[in-house]
Amino acid sequence: MTLAVYPLVYLPVAASLRGADPGQEEVARSLGLGRVRTFLRITLGQARGAILGGCLLVALVLLAEYGAFEILGYQTFTTEIFTESQVSFNIPAASALALVLVVLSTVVLIGESAARGKGRVVRTGPMAQRVVQVHRLGRATVPVLLGFVVLTGLALGVPIGSCLYWMFEGGAHDLGGVSLLNAAGYTALYSGMAAALATLMALAVALLVIRHPDRVGRLLERTTYLVLAMPGIVIAFALSYFVERYAGGYEYQKAPLLILAYAILFFPLALVGVKASVAHAPLALEEAAHSLGQNRWQVLRRVTLPLVGPGLAAAFCLVFLAAVTELTATLILVPTGVQTLSTQFWAYQQNLSYGQAAPFALVIIAIAAVPSYVLARFFDRLPGRAMMAT
Amino acid sequence: MTSTDTHNAVVVSGVHKSFGNLSVLRGVELEVPQGSFTSILGSSGSGKTTLLRIMAGFERPDSGVIRLGSRVVDDSGHRHVPSEKRRIGYVSQEGALFPHLSVGRNVAFGLARHEGRRDRVRELLELVGLSGLHHRYPHQLSGGQQQRVALARALATEPEIVLLDEPFSSLDASLRASVRADVLRVLRLAGTTSVLVTHDQDEALSMADQVAILRDGVIAQMGTPSEMYRQPEDPALARFLGESNLVQGTVQGLTVDTPLGQLAFLPSTRGSCQGHSGMRASVLVRPEQLVITAVDEGAVVGTVGSYEYFGHDAVVRIQPESEALPELVVRVTGGDPLAAGTKVGLVVHGLVVAWPERV
Repeated sequence: MTLAVYPLVYLPVAASLRGADPGQEEVARSLGLGRVRTFLRITLGQARGAILGGCLLVALVLLAEYGAFEILGYQTFTTEIFTESQVSFNIPAASALALVLVVLSTVVLIGESAARGKGRVVRTGPMAQRVVQVHRLGRATVPVLLGFVVLTGLALGVPIGSCLYWMFEGGAHDLGGVSLLNAAGYTALYSGMAAALATLMALAVALLVIRHPDRVGRLLERTTYLVLAMPGIVIAFALSYFVERYAGGYEYQKAPLLILAYAILFFPLALVGVKASVAHAPLALEEAAHSLGQNRWQVLRRVTLPLVGPGLAAAFCLVFLAAVTELTATLILVPTGVQTLSTQFWAYQQNLSYGQAAPFALVIIAIAAVPSYVLARFFDRLPGRAMMAT
Repeated sequence: MTSTDTHNAVVVSGVHKSFGNLSVLRGVELEVPQGSFTSILGSSGSGKTTLLRIMAGFERPDSGVIRLGSRVVDDSGHRHVPSEKRRIGYVSQEGALFPHLSVGRNVAFGLARHEGRRDRVRELLELVGLSGLHHRYPHQLSGGQQQRVALARALATEPEIVLLDEPFSSLDASLRASVRADVLRVLRLAGTTSVLVTHDQDEALSMADQVAILRDGVIAQMGTPSEMYRQPEDPALARFLGESNLVQGTVQGLTVDTPLGQLAFLPSTRGSCQGHSGMRASVLVRPEQLVITAVDEGAVVGTVGSYEYFGHDAVVRIQPESEALPELVVRVTGGDPLAAGTKVGLVVHGLVVAWPERV
């Protein structure tokens, strides 16, 4: 599980460290702190918000994880909710379990809030950032690189390897190329739109929370994390019930509802990334832009968006990745007659046709690789910060 | 509206501002004449930046009215003209250059796409002495260069008023003087009205036509730099602006009797001692008014405590023999250094300022 969720911590932390001020570390060194203590007290401090945010995400996402636990044979709240509602059709029992999940995640939220403390990470120094020195690892190079190799090997190699294994050993070689392509197309479409929607919503909330910090805003922000601990199935049921009841079944099992469900489900993921980078786009720059005769929208387009760009991209990718692999809500809300990669994978896996399921898993991995690559490229080419690498 | 408004680029009347329980501005009155360079001088936390941000439209006053030219831009009620419509230029402490844009694009930021933008950018960069750097990014510039880009950016839109928020405080001393001179030259050339907020008295005195001291949330005194220096309205203001020696005395007609001798005081000072013979008074003697003499020629005798040499002049601290006098600060130009412990005489030149002491 750790392997599956570590990107949730890595992406926001990386975004935050990229925007961090190297001067702070230098000051710490000059005050007589050694490397280790500088790392502990300054570097970790700068990334603290992002680390805690990431941990929060992991805790909440795991509360809501279904597929992996089900396949591995563990019973969790989420698997129980799924069983109660889908197998026994015991909706009251499922609802009760879902409520317990809400309580559990509230506890996690309060814990994180307490750990976060009161410090601020907004930079106070000059706005123009100095070039970050790239460390030469020297003798540490080999072990560090080995560490990365082992990590990525475990996280990527094992699933890809076993998929390939099943593909060739699993018998029935009916790959169904067309259905695979169709499924991939729909998956990318739904996930992409959901990611865009969630990122946009997150930007609005992040700006509100960072720029106008008050109780209401903070509460609003915190409660959105509760959504994360909701298994997709709960959101899906809630949405479809709502639509049935108040909108006459309009859009039920059509694409917009599924996209909306994804966006709601993964909005908190987007929020973590966006919030971290909005903190790095100081108000003074926007004020400067206003004084130069730019109105609110122009400032947003010409100053704020370029500055929070990396965070937005990270948020988009996080949501995209999550939506590609989402299962339970998809099973309920997927438009009639359409199969996404994960539903098709699930169907084959349920029939124990591992050989047929494997290609779908591989395509999921392939699709997930695209935003990750784009993300990496985007970071490297960002003007002004690009020089960090040189 | 009175006729004076047409000659003032900025009029601030009755402005109050609090943050939570902290009352920062308590009825500020300020007039900035068209085309002038006005400094608002205050210690840190005096609310001077808040005042500037209210003029810029980044903050709103709790009460009071702000006029720019003949326009009311904020009446602390319904009327609030946003910053982008105020035709101002704003240069902040850190410059606040856009890190994702090159120098050229930073300067061009406020300009519309047509109107010979490229020529204008070149012209502005030339004006601030940074021609040829338009492809650089802000982080590739020194602090002084960043501030000059920020100034060029602020001037690009030809604002009626340029607001400067301690733009030199992040520069080191050697750079500060030259950047200050450059900025002053550029602003004079552009002919804009300028308002500078600073805690640096040298900066305020050397750059401005008009200095306003902000203290306890109100403008304590306003005038030309020489008025402010020569005729401060109370001892605290005297101490705030420049070095000062404050001694006690008794008023005698148009003079005041002090341990430094009988000194004539400026008759025009507000709250003057004129016509208060016999009253106790605080007397201001500026360091350059004290002249070191031979022991037998001085009005008082003292011992040199320290001698700080600055090249163009020197500051001597002298402990007078009379116990009625505090340690005296004397500014001398030229002459040989005085060793600590040397006995010297002192006389006062020129008119002093005397305030009746509150009983």
